[in-house]
Amino acid sequence: MNELREVARKLLAEGTVQVVIGYEEGPRGVRPAFITSAEQADKLVFDTRCVQNLAAYLNPRRKQVAQLGKAAVVVKGCDARSVAGMIREKQIERENIVLLAMRCGGVLQNPEKDTELTEETVSVRCAGCTAREPKLFDHLLGELPPAPPVNKSRMEQIAALEKMSMAERRSYWNEQLSRCIRCHACREACPMCFCVKCTAEKTQPQWIDPSSTLQANRAWQTMRVLHQAGRCVDCMECERACPEHLPLGLLARYVADAVERRFEYTASDDPSVAAPIGVYKSDDDEEFIR
Amino acid sequence: MTHKYLSHQGLAALVAELLSAGTRVIAPVRAKDDAGQIDYQLIASYEEAALGVRLPRRSLKEFFLPPTEVLLSYKQTKAGVEITDVPTVAPPQVILGAIPCDVAGLAVVDKVMNWDYRDELWFGRRDATTIVNLLCNIMDATCFCTAVGLGPESFTGSDVMLAPVEGGYLAYLITERGEALLKGHGEEAAADAIAHAEAARKEVRGKVEPNLAAVPAEFSTWLASNFDNPLWKTIALRCHGCGACAAVCPTCHCFDIVDEHISADEGVRRRNWDSCQTSLFTLHASGHNPRGSQSERFRQRIQHKFAIYPSRFGDLLCTGCGRCSRACPGGMDLPTIVSELVALSEAKPEVSGQ
Repeated sequence: MNELREVARKLLAEGTVQVVIGYEEGPRGVRPAFITSAEQADKLVFDTRCVQNLAAYLNPRRKQVAQLGKAAVVVKGCDARSVAGMIREKQIERENIVLLAMRCGGVLQNPEKDTELTEETVSVRCAGCTAREPKLFDHLLGELPPAPPVNKSRMEQIAALEKMSMAERRSYWNEQLSRCIRCHACREACPMCFCVKCTAEKTQPQWIDPSSTLQANRAWQTMRVLHQAGRCVDCMECERACPEHLPLGLLARYVADAVERRFEYTASDDPSVAAPIGVYKSDDDEEFIR
Repeated sequence: MTHKYLSHQGLAALVAELLSAGTRVIAPVRAKDDAGQIDYQLIASYEEAALGVRLPRRSLKEFFLPPTEVLLSYKQTKAGVEITDVPTVAPPQVILGAIPCDVAGLAVVDKVMNWDYRDELWFGRRDATTIVNLLCNIMDATCFCTAVGLGPESFTGSDVMLAPVEGGYLAYLITERGEALLKGHGEEAAADAIAHAEAARKEVRGKVEPNLAAVPAEFSTWLASNFDNPLWKTIALRCHGCGACAAVCPTCHCFDIVDEHISADEGVRRRNWDSCQTSLFTLHASGHNPRGSQSERFRQRIQHKFAIYPSRFGDLLCTGCGRCSRACPGGMDLPTIVSELVALSEAKPEVSGQ
């Protein structure tokens, strides 16, 4: 943590960046911090409560952050994949950001509780993590902590869903998605949702009705998650933002697994590696078209 | 105000009687997707109710202003357009064991719903509802009802308040409607039960008061005259603009109206919850957006709740329930923000010159 503060202080003092986006103690656990002077660098913290994917603040839609100037951002390995995604998709330029990448030993499910990482408290997304040592960075910081315990609850949920018949699966998702209120908080909190005009807001034609009927909810969440296929880094900010507590992380993981099986691709932290959604391969099976 | 003593069995009998008469009863219950959480839901038996366990995740708003509802249906015929309004008379319902801030929230929103027009759907449901709240003893460190003129013992908006006493509850009969609900139920309250409940009402206030000092009346005026203060530029840096705060807020009441086709010549007009925290809320057809960044949208949230609404209706548009803070993925914390703004408003202007 001292190393992080040291680097942040230097970057701000030298004027390399105008803001360091990191984590600080807040009234309800750890919260995003926007450090704009070297004197404030000591506010920065990094521990297992640092759940938030701060890459979201590099999203060009966050105009209030962009006005602060060039940013350095504290990322975990998983968050660095979001940054890579935004570079790959031409939303930000690599040279315009400084990445303070933290070696990571897993995070909790929410930033409020300061407890030990256990099979129950660790985030489900840390299971099988291959990015604990970030590969995309300007400064690689901290010692590599031991691998976290594995929270199997989501894997078990996915296994249970796969065993279900199509009708049972449909009824499960219908029950979940009927609770969606179409507030689109999932989209707004997502680092990878940056369309200037979302399809959900297009009215000529109206692709998706804006009212929270089951049919429209299904159309909305299906479109959102398919648009995220191979782009989503499983940060689960959508699920944390959802005021109706929909299992959006489960939905996202389900699609990510399908992309992995079919295209042998997981969201890469190398911006030069193209994602399946943006690639044409002449030797692709295309068996689903037949 | 009159009191009655209502034993646990007496309350169960009241609920059973209501349900068998076909009255809808809404109470806090264990959430379906997470047994550790509480949601307000329709109940089929008294046993389902989980009274005074934990703050419900969502407020009572959805029972009066659903996230989506049909206003009218239309049909194109050879003779013209046939329009059918939805009924504005709602079936009778009783809300049991709501927390006082959620009930007060309804009374606050009543004012705007009866302002430039009378919202028949809102009042249809309000008029059909009898509310029994429960003295709150499930506050946490984010609650600040006492800072916004309410309290965990507040009667505002309620017909009956229940305060736990030995063997059951002391029922405060606040309105005639409340008296009618308990007609034929309960017994005369003993003096010590009343004394016990009164002591509890004082005690619970003390559990919330340290969280945030009372918002001073001058704060609204200060906000109104500080619309262009540079502080708004940086106050909402961590806000994603997701609007989860508005969804869980008991007093956020903005809605959007849309027409949706069912077929080529039939459709419905619906109203859906909306939020000033999203950019679409103020986007003009020209493409111009008067609230172009989150700084401006968050300023609107604070100004509406603490300056605009009170200037029009007297009440703050906030019940201090703290749900916005609990729901926020970006760590925006309303009590902290209000406390910082109030401090700023009370700071003596710097003396210029020598």
